[in-house]
Amino acid sequence: MRVSLSGIVVRFGALTAVNDVSLAIEPGEIHAVVGENGAGKSTLMNVLFGLVKPQAGTIGIDGRPRVWNSASDAISAGLGMVHQHFMLQEQMTVLENIVLCAEPVGPLGFVDFAAARRRLAESANLHGITVALDREVGRLSVGERQVVEILKMLYREAQVLILDEPTSVLTPQEKDRLFEILRSFRAAGRAIVLITHKLDEVMEIADRVSVMRGGRLVTSAPLAETSKEEIARGIIGGELPPLRQRSARTPGEAVLAVEGLGIGRRGRSVGPLSFSVRAGEIVGIAGVSGNGQAELVQALAGLKPASAGRIVLCGRDITGLSVAERRRIGMSYIPEDRQRMGLALAATVSENANAGRDDRGGFAKGPFLRRGAMAEFARDIIRRFDIRVAGPSALASTMSGGNKQKLVVGREITRATPLIIAENPTWGVDIGAIDFIHGELMRMRDAGHAVLLVSTELDEVMALSDRILVMYEGRFAGEVPGSEATRERLGNLMTSHLGQGSAVAA
Amino acid sequence: MLDLLFDTSFAASVPRFVTPILLAALGGALCERAGVFNIALEGFLLAGAFAAVLGSYFTGSATAGALAAMVGGIAMGLVFAEFNLRRGGDSIVVSIAINLLAAGLTTYLLRAVFDVAGAFSDPAIVGFKGINIPVIGSIPWIGHVLSGQSILFYIAVAVVPLMHLFLARHRLGLRMRAAGENPQALAAGGVNPKRVQLWALVGCGALCGLGGAQLSIANVNLFVENMSAGRGWIAVVAVLLTRGRPWPLFAIALIFGVVDSLSFRVQGLGMPQQFTDVMPYLATLIVLTALSWWRKRNPA
Amino acid sequence: MKLGDGIFGREIVPWLAVVFWIAVVLLVLVELVGASFGDAVEGFIQGAFGGRRFAYLMATLSRATLIVGMALSVMLSFRAGLFNIGGEGQLVAGGLVAALVGIFLPGPPLLVLAVSILAAMAAGAAWAMLGGLLQLYVGVPLLVGSLLLNYPIRYFASYLVAHPFRDVPSGMVQSHLVPMETWLPFFPGTRLDIGILFILVAGISAIAYSYTTVHGYQSRLNGLSPDFAKTVGLPVDRLALQTLAMSGAIAGLVGAVAVFGIHHRYIDGSLVQPLYAWTGIIAVLLVGMIPWLVPLSGFFFAAIQTGAAGMERTAGVPKEIALVVQAAIILFVASRVSGALLASSDRKTDGGSDA
Repeated sequence: MRVSLSGIVVRFGALTAVNDVSLAIEPGEIHAVVGENGAGKSTLMNVLFGLVKPQAGTIGIDGRPRVWNSASDAISAGLGMVHQHFMLQEQMTVLENIVLCAEPVGPLGFVDFAAARRRLAESANLHGITVALDREVGRLSVGERQVVEILKMLYREAQVLILDEPTSVLTPQEKDRLFEILRSFRAAGRAIVLITHKLDEVMEIADRVSVMRGGRLVTSAPLAETSKEEIARGIIGGELPPLRQRSARTPGEAVLAVEGLGIGRRGRSVGPLSFSVRAGEIVGIAGVSGNGQAELVQALAGLKPASAGRIVLCGRDITGLSVAERRRIGMSYIPEDRQRMGLALAATVSENANAGRDDRGGFAKGPFLRRGAMAEFARDIIRRFDIRVAGPSALASTMSGGNKQKLVVGREITRATPLIIAENPTWGVDIGAIDFIHGELMRMRDAGHAVLLVSTELDEVMALSDRILVMYEGRFAGEVPGSEATRERLGNLMTSHLGQGSAVAA
Repeated sequence: MLDLLFDTSFAASVPRFVTPILLAALGGALCERAGVFNIALEGFLLAGAFAAVLGSYFTGSATAGALAAMVGGIAMGLVFAEFNLRRGGDSIVVSIAINLLAAGLTTYLLRAVFDVAGAFSDPAIVGFKGINIPVIGSIPWIGHVLSGQSILFYIAVAVVPLMHLFLARHRLGLRMRAAGENPQALAAGGVNPKRVQLWALVGCGALCGLGGAQLSIANVNLFVENMSAGRGWIAVVAVLLTRGRPWPLFAIALIFGVVDSLSFRVQGLGMPQQFTDVMPYLATLIVLTALSWWRKRNPA
Repeated sequence: MKLGDGIFGREIVPWLAVVFWIAVVLLVLVELVGASFGDAVEGFIQGAFGGRRFAYLMATLSRATLIVGMALSVMLSFRAGLFNIGGEGQLVAGGLVAALVGIFLPGPPLLVLAVSILAAMAAGAAWAMLGGLLQLYVGVPLLVGSLLLNYPIRYFASYLVAHPFRDVPSGMVQSHLVPMETWLPFFPGTRLDIGILFILVAGISAIAYSYTTVHGYQSRLNGLSPDFAKTVGLPVDRLALQTLAMSGAIAGLVGAVAVFGIHHRYIDGSLVQPLYAWTGIIAVLLVGMIPWLVPLSGFFFAAIQTGAAGMERTAGVPKEIALVVQAAIILFVASRVSGALLASSDRKTDGGSDA
């Protein structure tokens, strides 16, 4: 089945997300669509899959133009998509998730689960996939959930499989197994579209590469006719920024000391964890999302109670203290979820910027607000962190993702506390802002602050950290000095429990 | 005094109070599982109760009354769907509005159609009589509970396992659960969650309508202004406590039904009217508090 | 240029459609009762704004006072993201306490009045905080808890004035009269009591609080995004309880104003039957919680209610038509002003933080 996209244009208000893009997808081929965050690749594929209606352009299947009114049209035409955020029902079983929306029914509308099982068994065996059909999806690991998503596509006999950033949640070993499955699909004549920003993986598995930047298609060529550097240039539109150099520093006293910390979690508890972060160093916690990092950060910030152990900050035991008290003693926190936790989107930039302040005198007189002082403070942050926004009284929701993140980072870093916790600080942010934020974190480290970086982006952790701790299944699998960190070494630590984990069999 | 309260006639009266709560709660459960935050059960019940009287009065048939009650409930469900699903109004606001709408409309129509205020009673209203089940009816004590009840009671009880089966194994039930848990994922699979939620509201309307019919043409044969008297709110609490699961819902509805009939019974014992009136609400509050406290201590 | 594009199509036409549908509903209902539409309209206008020496207009303003007061109470809670729908109970608590203190406290009238009002506000605040405590410490969602709490206090007050504190010779279910010297005076030349001034002061204070104080600012942020408030360390639990207390206090004040300005005693059902609390809620929802529009909204609904009573007197149209129209208005408006409540929609069944 050949798929072609011609002249696709997608606009969201004033923003043109996809600008006149034409692409061909051939059967028996793995086609990588690459670009940085915000380049328009996901939007383009959402058009192909029927989730977004384009303002212009056509979709062609085997030469005939088709129009999708919804995803179900695309699905019946033989397209399947695995989204970046899985589209699964956690409280339903694997089997229920797979058949949902394509249920085999008897006369009264009752689902024939037995028939579904039989059909699945065939496809799964063909490609070497095994999975327990009656387990609740909520209890599966991330890698296993991805298998469920892939089975969904198989069940619907999709001929064109679109995967959006599939490896961002996988350990290196899980990624290898996924690629084997993809090769098996290719051999069976299916077409695969891989949306990714990871160049190494593109070089490893793709047959054809299309590069998008700023909504436009920059190049589209077979892999054999291009090179990694050329692709990278296409993505950035220039040269890569020079690799960040870490200046040698001797760290000072421990600012944060964690001893035997345990946190309760449904099913799999986290801990005991013990580590410290010293003044003038960046400690990175690496690991695939879902291994307890979120719980660790929440316990440190005071948003979740610890079930065991101690947390010591600046020499004081803060284990039982509230969020406000911890912040006052010397902690700032850049949360992963900037939309819900980092900002109040419906409030103004000034209100957001002043929200975390301890120095009441700076923005209030008695019980009353000093709006002028608040606006000045906000303007200062806007200036220092190069935030593109109309002004302090603009609503936070009007900013782009990168600028929102810069506001959160700016607000927290300005407090200049001894400890800064940064959780996936550059998720979903454009390259310019990523570079800026990394620079700020380094600046704080150089100035003698302690920075705890928790990130699922291996590259980020490796680039910034003086020491790297790898988290797996709620415990630390190992510690690696920043200078000696390689992807293989960290990847091995990420799956250090032999025999457990992913149910994907080779 | 204890045996006065627990004699057979008390036992026989319990199902009469359980039925409207159970039916309304089952309707609410459908909405809850499908992700529709519907706290307008009080209004749905009231609409059903009035429609039942209308239907029965003008046709002389209790069955027609029950069907009319379902239509009345479904009408409310469609109003909810129009303003919440289609137009995007906040479900709490829409619920409050529908409760007020039902109260106002039923009282208004009481005056407009029957030209009375307060209550309407007439021999032309045909109600449901009790159904005597031959063998079961002769079992001591429990026989009085299980036999001789209106058909609506038996329907209500039958719906419990039926709903369980529906949600677990029927295509629409599966999709409703999906709409309630992750509507975005359902949409990505090609099914419009709102369409599924519309069916949930229709089902809810029908069930609440039947619950209303029990109030007006089974328990008694008349319509009183604001007849639902808080039972819709009790049903809301039941749905909340059980997260819309049919069997636990049945258990909770039984408890509330017992308390409701107890308060009715106690009236004859010389307690002040206000105490008996408030008993169901107090009991609901106490049960809610106790269960919430327990759940906080033992997170599942 | 198509009708659908541009400001006309986007903003004006939908509102015209709303007005159209409400008019249709009205027509159908009036027809159903066989009344003359002209009589009905005349009766409405008289009932809301007319009367000998504008007696009906005074009644509308009096009712509007209570509705606006309740709307203010609700607005404070809603803006802080708290779904406190227990206003009715807080109102009754306030009215009951005001009447009882007014009756039994000896002393100069001004002192008795002041203490009664303060006691009423304290009672309302306490009842509102009870709902908050249930959410905080037990995990009962505020929405359901505050609603259920309405009933015990209603029946308790009813019991008190039906038995121990009943004014038996009067033959009705009500308390004795509060001392005449404590009755709120009328505005000169009218029959409108000065209770409206109390509400005005409360209203201005509430608005000033919301926009100029630190507490108001933090409450508002919590209302817009509770996760954000927790993350930056705002004292969310304390804010919630304090806001509920303020909310309840205003409701209690309204109860006191009703007792000392209008009824001069606690009459069973007098604060519940007219649906002051629920009308207050929908008055706030109508204007999307924009503070300065609330008095207009409250007056609007008060006029609908008194106008409907006039319709019944003149044209025989049952006054419950007011309820139907108000519900219809809210249904239509709900779809247009949903944004204000969206932030809090995650919290409908949240039993408070159980971190």
